[in-house]
Amino acid sequence: MKYFKIYTYSLLIILQFSCSKFLEVVPDNVATIENAFTTRAAAEKYLFTCYSYMPSQGNIVSNPAFLSGDEMMVPEMVSVYRGISLGIQIERGYQNVASPYINYWDGEQGGKPLFQGIRNCNIFLDNIAKVPDILEMDRKRWTAEVYFLKAYYQYWLLRMYGPIPLIKENLPISSSIEEVKLKRAPVDECVNYIVQLLDEAAVDLPETVLNKTAELGRITKPIALAVKAKVLITAASPLFNGNSDYASFKNNDGQLLFNSVYDATKWEKAAVACKEAIDLCHLLGNKLNYYKPAMSQYSLSPEILTQMGIRNSLTEKWNPEIIWANTNSMAGTLQIFSQAKIDPTQQSNQGFTGCLAPSMKMAELFYTENGVPIEEDNTWDYNGRLDLKTATATDKFRIKQGYTTASLHFNREPRFYADLGFDGGIWYGQGKFDDQNTFWLEVKAGQSGASAGGWYSGTGYYIKKYVNFNNVISTGNTYSMEDYPWPVIRLADLYLLYAEALNEQNGPAPEVFEYINLVRLRAGLKTVEESWTSYSKLGSSKYATKVGLRDIIHQERLIELAFEGQRFWDLKRWKDAPRVMNSNINGWDISQETALSYYRITKIFKQTFLLKDYFWPIKEIDLIINRNLVQNPGW
Amino acid sequence: MGPNPFFTKIMIIMKLITLFLFVGLMQVSASAYSQVLKVEFPQKSISVKDVLLTIEKHSDYKFLYRNDQMDVNRMVEIKSPAKSLENILSQILNKTNLSYKILENNLVVITSEQQKITLKGAVKDLQGNTLPGVSIVVKGTNKVAITDYDGNYTIQVTENDKILVFSFIGMKKQEVLIGSQSVINVQMESEASILDEVVVVAFGTQKKKDLIGAVTTVKPSDLKIPSSNLTTALAGRVAGLISYQRSGEPGKDNADFFIRGVTTFGYKKDPLILIDNIEVNGTDLARMQVDDIASFSIMKDATATALYGARGANGVILITTKEGKEGKVNISMRLENSISASTRNVELADPITYMKLANEAVLTRDPLGIVFYPYAKIDNTIKKVNQYAYPVTDWQNELLKKYAMNQRANLSVSGGGKIARYYISGAANMDNGILNVDKRSNFNSNAKLKTYSLRSNININLTKTTEVVARLSGNFDDYTGPIDGGASVYNQIMQTNPVLFPAYYPTDNDHQYVQHILFGNYDLGQYINPYANLQRGYKDYSRSTMDAQFEVRQNLSFITEGLSLRGMFNTNRYSYFDVNRAYNPFFYNVAHYDKLTKTYSLGAINENTGTEYLGYSEGQKDVSSSVYLEAAVNYSHVFAEKHTVSGMLVNIMRNNLIGNAGDLQNSLPFRNLGLSGRFTYTYNSKYSAEFNFGYNGSERFYKTHRFGFFPSVGMAYTLSEEKFWEPLKKIVSEFKVRATYGLVGNDAIGSAADRFFYLSNVNMNNGSYGAVFGTNNTYYRSGISVSRYSNIDISWEKAKKMNLGLQAKFFNKLGVEADYFTEDRSNILMDRASIPTILGLSAPVRANVGKAFAKGIDGTIDYSETFGKNIWLKVRLNFTYAASKFTQYEEPNYDEKYKLHVGYSLSQQWGYLAERLFVDDAEAANSPKQNFGVYGGGDIKYKDVNGDGQITPLDMVPIGYPTDPEIIYGFGFSAGFKRFDISCFFQGLGRESFWIDPNATSPFVNNQRQLLKVYADDHWSEDNQNVYALWPRLSPNVNANNTQMSTWFMRNGAFLRLKQLELGYTLPDVLLKKLQLTNARFYMNGSNLFNITSFKLWDVEMGGNGLGYPVQMVLNLGLQISL
Repeated sequence: MKYFKIYTYSLLIILQFSCSKFLEVVPDNVATIENAFTTRAAAEKYLFTCYSYMPSQGNIVSNPAFLSGDEMMVPEMVSVYRGISLGIQIERGYQNVASPYINYWDGEQGGKPLFQGIRNCNIFLDNIAKVPDILEMDRKRWTAEVYFLKAYYQYWLLRMYGPIPLIKENLPISSSIEEVKLKRAPVDECVNYIVQLLDEAAVDLPETVLNKTAELGRITKPIALAVKAKVLITAASPLFNGNSDYASFKNNDGQLLFNSVYDATKWEKAAVACKEAIDLCHLLGNKLNYYKPAMSQYSLSPEILTQMGIRNSLTEKWNPEIIWANTNSMAGTLQIFSQAKIDPTQQSNQGFTGCLAPSMKMAELFYTENGVPIEEDNTWDYNGRLDLKTATATDKFRIKQGYTTASLHFNREPRFYADLGFDGGIWYGQGKFDDQNTFWLEVKAGQSGASAGGWYSGTGYYIKKYVNFNNVISTGNTYSMEDYPWPVIRLADLYLLYAEALNEQNGPAPEVFEYINLVRLRAGLKTVEESWTSYSKLGSSKYATKVGLRDIIHQERLIELAFEGQRFWDLKRWKDAPRVMNSNINGWDISQETALSYYRITKIFKQTFLLKDYFWPIKEIDLIINRNLVQNPGW
Repeated sequence: MGPNPFFTKIMIIMKLITLFLFVGLMQVSASAYSQVLKVEFPQKSISVKDVLLTIEKHSDYKFLYRNDQMDVNRMVEIKSPAKSLENILSQILNKTNLSYKILENNLVVITSEQQKITLKGAVKDLQGNTLPGVSIVVKGTNKVAITDYDGNYTIQVTENDKILVFSFIGMKKQEVLIGSQSVINVQMESEASILDEVVVVAFGTQKKKDLIGAVTTVKPSDLKIPSSNLTTALAGRVAGLISYQRSGEPGKDNADFFIRGVTTFGYKKDPLILIDNIEVNGTDLARMQVDDIASFSIMKDATATALYGARGANGVILITTKEGKEGKVNISMRLENSISASTRNVELADPITYMKLANEAVLTRDPLGIVFYPYAKIDNTIKKVNQYAYPVTDWQNELLKKYAMNQRANLSVSGGGKIARYYISGAANMDNGILNVDKRSNFNSNAKLKTYSLRSNININLTKTTEVVARLSGNFDDYTGPIDGGASVYNQIMQTNPVLFPAYYPTDNDHQYVQHILFGNYDLGQYINPYANLQRGYKDYSRSTMDAQFEVRQNLSFITEGLSLRGMFNTNRYSYFDVNRAYNPFFYNVAHYDKLTKTYSLGAINENTGTEYLGYSEGQKDVSSSVYLEAAVNYSHVFAEKHTVSGMLVNIMRNNLIGNAGDLQNSLPFRNLGLSGRFTYTYNSKYSAEFNFGYNGSERFYKTHRFGFFPSVGMAYTLSEEKFWEPLKKIVSEFKVRATYGLVGNDAIGSAADRFFYLSNVNMNNGSYGAVFGTNNTYYRSGISVSRYSNIDISWEKAKKMNLGLQAKFFNKLGVEADYFTEDRSNILMDRASIPTILGLSAPVRANVGKAFAKGIDGTIDYSETFGKNIWLKVRLNFTYAASKFTQYEEPNYDEKYKLHVGYSLSQQWGYLAERLFVDDAEAANSPKQNFGVYGGGDIKYKDVNGDGQITPLDMVPIGYPTDPEIIYGFGFSAGFKRFDISCFFQGLGRESFWIDPNATSPFVNNQRQLLKVYADDHWSEDNQNVYALWPRLSPNVNANNTQMSTWFMRNGAFLRLKQLELGYTLPDVLLKKLQLTNARFYMNGSNLFNITSFKLWDVEMGGNGLGYPVQMVLNLGLQISL
């Protein structure tokens, strides 16, 4: 009986535990989303979360503008190596609806999930008022930044996908299935909403960042104005302004998505926005970048100084020309992918790869030293451009003296030499800062700079433009770099946009030439008027008309902003893409050892651009999940 | 050279045997003590009477004899020295028919030799069939007889003999008292009589006769295989269990197993495993010693599992361990030594073909491409100009041995008295990998897994009604082996170029001073040298599980007959850690090769980063602990001899903590709380009815959904007990039908990391969502992310289980047991499919919306028979068929109805229909567009099923069988002839598809990946445009078009293998007696000896994992001894 009692008691004790409290294991203060807005520090993290969806504009994989267009290529074998093949797939015509490459809609295949970013922005905007310990100034500024981010993400989507569903307010998770089946908004509505957000943002954004060590790279007013200018230019351009190709593109309920009536006032708005942005930048001290070394061991030739001004406007961090550089997208990988094997003593260094290869059409795009297109220059032998020619002392800052290379490489404008590496080309910097004694390239098969370890340039060209001149190829596998945040917008871009908008609005006018010539001057060229009058076969008549000047502005823009992620979008918005991108991607015959055999144009592949390629396909499954969503035409 | 390791092992075994024999003999001699006499006999001849009187005078002995039997005046001579009574008496009684016996108090009885009585009889089974070959032993003696062909025997006994023991394989041992009769006829009962068996069920036992639920029990001896992993024994042995083994690597060779297939989409698909009622994981089951198992039950239907409520939906494996029995010490020992070798190694292309085809791969894709192997290199390799400048390395040969030796030893001691009983056992296994270790290495990097286990079960009767049980068990793994694990060595072999460098260079004149091995590499040392990776260091890991359990059983019959109380406390502690020690290998390449003299010089690739000494790094450390409490009330009583009533209530609580959970929510305790009950009623062993329930709580759900009630009912009807069955009884000796229906739950839904569905999971410091600003990118803040949205409605997954069962026995020889089952799962957690991306959610929204259905049959047929005196035979067949299908599945509203999951198996795969390879680029260009990147002639052509002009996921149709086999079967026989026995077991599976992984087998990737011989022999090439070739057009890298999920690489996983073959010999009793053993058996067995399948690339059971560590074939020698 004694034992019975003991066991009964112990059983009762055990059963005592059995109340439901046993299963209440969660302490009260497990983090919830509310915790993000209880302190300033947490809210700041949420602000940074909103920033984290910013597309990496300087990333070779996730910015489609690098490898999806016709500017450059990476050989199939090399591209697969490093997982950089996504853009190449688009360039080669393998874009698809099954699993689209560089998909910013769903955040797959190299893209970021921008709709998630927009949702986070909305959450931030809904809750920022709750944060108790934040200065009103900061609250306003952060709100303005998030307005900007929300606008920018939608602009990025608009450029890729055309009309998009506008998520002005977040839908609750408990929404019904019908409520979440959102449809696209017409292009004009999208543009207006984006501009509205940017206008709201601009009010409270600071003109400059005061705490540069902690905040440089955050959104400022000039950035908002510059992006607004770009949005309005895009909206005014032929692709979106009165484009009849998409006249029948509509939502399932019959709502038209493109306005096929041309509206000239869109250019006017764009021009006003550009001017507003430029004026503010000037006021804040932005100017085109010139290379003026404060102290230099060597006295450099004017030629190299000009080239360095051009190179540094991109690669010198925070130079006065930069309006917006993205600190979350550094250019390191681009530099590694672009550094050619210039040092014959470090042939096996694998710290860099030099595999980003500009296409032959980019080499032909740059002007002659007279500042006019190579096919128009009446002093330059266009038909003999593939003939071999040996460099003399006069070429010494451009081509290694005594080296034989194609005539195409002779007598070109400074931007050609600043932007491109080629067989025989001088490569200033990278540890050799005396321009009398520089590296040069020898990249024919069997030469010191040719393929090693599976890495090579598929065309024979290299993008010197990305490479900061202070980078040094060291021993082993070391490549020491001076990294820089990727410049998303620089002043020259705005100048050329402004010129473009003005010309579209009213045709040639002194202000148009003023802004193009500013850019040309820095590039070491004479003015449009002087160059065309003196050297072009077409003479001064070309720049006197709106159409002729449009061509000049377009080419100037393509040259000045080459490899900067602009050409791909510009060709599309000008509706030039079908003309330009339906051609071969060519290079030199890089497997050859002799100059005679090497300098033959070799087709690498044929690029095609069809109507459907203007816009990204929406992933097939998304259309099935949301039957109110329509696919882009042609997909 | 050291001593031969195998010889050393034998010596150890011999020593062990000697030790145990010695222990046994000690006991025997102790009982044979007798007094020393101090008696002198002066005369040479003396009468018997005087001798006895003299002894009585000088010692404590007294003699007792009958005068009519002994002539006390007979004169005898006692030879000196006569120091012992035995000695003297044997002299006196020599040449008489007298014998003596020393009784208590030194009373010595002398009587005439006992009368020899001849006993006769016949032995039959219950059906009246005569049983030949039955052995009859007089208990306590070595008198033995065996029945003849007609089942008759004769045996000589004396008056002192009391008991005859009848034994026969397959029959219950029977002891018969010898009375005054001279004829003893015996009816023996089959041991496997399904009616009297006791089956372990949830929280108790039931007589098989009364059993209603679908419970399969397995004889532990059927699970004895030459492996230290119990899970590998399950396939085909257990009706209702789907099982297969994908890897043969020691320590990672656990088989996958599911009870009646998979019917959930959640993370936990495998059954609940309980050892002595304690939840354990698959590895604990793998380490379980068969010899320690008292019972092994698989519970399959609702009545059997409902008591486990929330955790029983996937079925339950319940193991109880042996307990000591009252009686003398029983020592049993098993020693095994086995040789294991891969069942099949993957064949690779020869190096010359490799280089040629690697070049072909480049040029066929890009005629301007740069080939990796200059033609001069190929030529010089063919000519074998210099084996180091033009190396050819057979990495399989460099790294792998042909076989490995494994040892297992197992010892158990049990016994006890009235108060306490004990069962103590220990086991040690040593599994060796099959990797080659360089002779110059001074440490062993071959995989070596030592596992030990200890178990001690002590039962103590505190009072007549109170019993306590203390169980302690532990199992421990000590591993040393290659840093990346054994499977990785196999993987690395596949990733290593065969023609760029040798495993190592011989030390040449330039490097005489170096202490290290000159490992080979190429270019900048970026290539994999698996030999260097294997030799460079080793990993030690140590894993231990300790289990302590205390149980009290209180019989309360003094309150009312049949009432008892039980309480249990258990705690389990788990720990794991590993450490790596390794040096950085020095790599060399051929820096210069002189074509004229054909000599080479070596260049150091990494003279600055290589080390000659070991470095150290700490690895993972896992710890966890759990506590379990159980309290139960039992009642069982028979009223009026016909009405058997029983009832049980169990309360359980479980708390589990993980030491390194990784995040806050996972670090919170895992808990379960439940009350379960069972009520049964049986009428006269004919009708039984049962009601079970489980009422369980899980902390994963919101308050209002936290508890679930899971009831089940069942009925059974034993027709063979009915009067009307009597005429049938000769043919169908037993016949029983049963039916159950009930509800079981599952709280292991979603993923294990989803702890609390009713809470959102917010990461306040997520680096992936951070941003950085500042002149020099110095101001960084991490971001905030949501990985789960809260949903208070999420609750249990429910399974409605129905089972119809049948048990029958024909002619008392052929037993059939079959079950038909259905299972209806609902409330399966799923992602909502209607949430578009544009909503911007960062985690899926989920709800209990999925439904699935499964049905199948499982059954066992066994048959036993004896032929003549010495031969017996047993045959057994197990069969399981389980097929599942989705009945409700939330997915987009596809126009292509074949995309919908409903109606298809839960492991059904969707893929493209591969028609053939494209004839040429032109055909590829004119066919529906395939959206997977570059393709052309010789690449796989897929069918445009929906006819939209392109190949997209909408063209994926259900292909092949499910990846979990739907059919598992096993059959085998065991037979004996005299002292020899043989058994053989086949196992197979069917209705399973698997896919050769085209990503993993794509050759030449990174200029390293090996080329399978079958691909080399059979691929599309421009010269041989075979559109049905095994491998498409070669490519220097993975071609995304050809690696899509499709029918091209689909294979049938069906196979039938000889899982086990065993030959045994039991020592004759005479010899056993001499050796003081109760039993000794030598045996030889082999597992995975051969395999019948249509798939030849690798062992088909590995499925798509064919490049991993192969499944092992084992040859084993064993010895089992009982004392």
